[in-house]
Amino acid sequence: MRFDVVIIGGGLAGMTAAAELQNGGLRCAVVAEGLSLNNISANDFKAAGGTLLRGDRVTGGTFGDGRLLSVCTAKLGDVCLEADYFILATGKYFSRGLAADMDKVYEPLFGLDVEYDPDRSTWFDRSFAAPQKFLEFGVKTQNGAALKNGEAIINLFPAGEVLQGISSADHDAREQIIESAHAAAQAILKRN
Amino acid sequence: MQERNISANNFEQCQKCSLCETVCPVMANNPDYAGPKRSGPDGERYRLKNGIFYEDSLKYCLNCKRCEVACPSGVRIADLIQQARIDFNTKPPKLRDVMLASTDQMGPVAGAFAPIVNFTLGLSPVKSVLDFAMGIDHRRTLPKYSSETFVHWFKKNAAASQDGFKKHISYFHGCYANYNYPQLAKDFVAVMNAFGYGVHLIDGERCCGVAKIANGMINAATRDAKINMGAFRKSVSEGRDIITVSTTCTMTLLEEYPELLKVGNDDVKEHISLFEKFIYKAISSGEVKPVWKEGWKAKAAYHCPCHQERLGQGIFTTELLKMIPGMELTELESNCCGIAGTYGFKKENYKVSQLIGKPLFDDIAAAKPDFVACECETCKWQIEMSTGVPVKNPVSILAGALDLEKTSELNRP
Repeated sequence: MRFDVVIIGGGLAGMTAAAELQNGGLRCAVVAEGLSLNNISANDFKAAGGTLLRGDRVTGGTFGDGRLLSVCTAKLGDVCLEADYFILATGKYFSRGLAADMDKVYEPLFGLDVEYDPDRSTWFDRSFAAPQKFLEFGVKTQNGAALKNGEAIINLFPAGEVLQGISSADHDAREQIIESAHAAAQAILKRN
Repeated sequence: MQERNISANNFEQCQKCSLCETVCPVMANNPDYAGPKRSGPDGERYRLKNGIFYEDSLKYCLNCKRCEVACPSGVRIADLIQQARIDFNTKPPKLRDVMLASTDQMGPVAGAFAPIVNFTLGLSPVKSVLDFAMGIDHRRTLPKYSSETFVHWFKKNAAASQDGFKKHISYFHGCYANYNYPQLAKDFVAVMNAFGYGVHLIDGERCCGVAKIANGMINAATRDAKINMGAFRKSVSEGRDIITVSTTCTMTLLEEYPELLKVGNDDVKEHISLFEKFIYKAISSGEVKPVWKEGWKAKAAYHCPCHQERLGQGIFTTELLKMIPGMELTELESNCCGIAGTYGFKKENYKVSQLIGKPLFDDIAAAKPDFVACECETCKWQIEMSTGVPVKNPVSILAGALDLEKTSELNRP
């Protein structure tokens, strides 16, 4: 099944970008594991003709020629979603956009490059209220596109908390997330 | 999902976020129901210690599975509730529940006397007696029985010609198409034949078991499930995929068999497909070619049934319907219609059932469609009774919109 843009994740970043892209005239699908808390932009998105795959999750993707070609989901089975562009808005640890072992932090869906400190002792501060470094970790980008093994995936744009440097603990996290979603959507709209 | 956990149903992943409660149609309308969070993962913590913590109010869950669709942590909330009902409810099912659930046993009897049964069940004194004696609500329009079952019709009129096709599928018709509404199954045969597929019955098909699970008849449901799985394996070994039309039957075969009845289906799961997905794939890959009727026009509103929401495949239905030229399709807001199989027939549930459906009925009235498109048979009863707007299965919509003769000429090998 073919779309212009597939957005992975239906949270604040995913739905914000999706609504902007769909309203910008692109045919979009959002894969949202669980209900979107962000009902206003979800309704906006659907009203503009967007496709919302609720309760489904992306299980993997096919790469080729420096691009992400398609993603498959748990519910659609052998019918995968092809698109010109993808937005990765899977969030951080709680929503499994990032995962951590004892010695590394990684992006579990595609194995994208993640910015983190290999020295585990620096990841956290014992003072609960202090800024926690592990919340700053996230996927690396080059001109907005995600990196995998040091190479840019030129049609995969991360947005929201999955990004390096955006932390939900920041006082202006919401603004940062919306801003990054807007930037990803604009990057795609400009190329079209 | 299971890989993240040590327990089945993922219950320790529950974060108490309460998103499930915001989508529970029962909780919003029945104060006696504690809601999916408390009935499911919360209650499970107590029930694991001791079964005396089982709450009788779990019977109000209509197993729509909307809580599972909403859950961001993949907790199988409705399964937890159904499992608790299986494990801890010691009350035997009432005679009414047995009768409502035994579609396989009631169908042939009622069908044999269909004109009398349909006539009598429509009479208000009879309905009052059913209400008083059995607890089947008198305000409910009861489904009609057909005097000729689909299987009987098929063997007499269609079976002989099926081997003449090059491609073949097995058809899981379900109880509804067989006993109550054979036209749906006839439409299915017509459409599949036109696309060049020979249709075959499943050897000794039994009820999928959903009504028996809901009414506490687990042993009977498990027995049926094993018979069906045996027949599916035989069909797959003969190279025939199993195509279904009912979303609820499909969800039961794919998910409830392994999760609730512990009847494994891993080896045949990939070969069971809803009609809409199967045909969508066949048309979009160029495997089959449709010829649509000239000048066919309709304004339809799509209602995605709860179990289709859970299967997550409603997109195939809408994409398939959008392929029809002359189809003006609106998608209704995702809401439960309130019937939930046998649930809404029960006197104690009638009021809640209609309250649950109200937002959907209002949406349909506002959309003013020629008909509602929906894959579910019990939604059809509920919506037609409550709104007066006819409900058509996508199979029947295709049967009407396709030029069957030209399609079958084009797809003839």
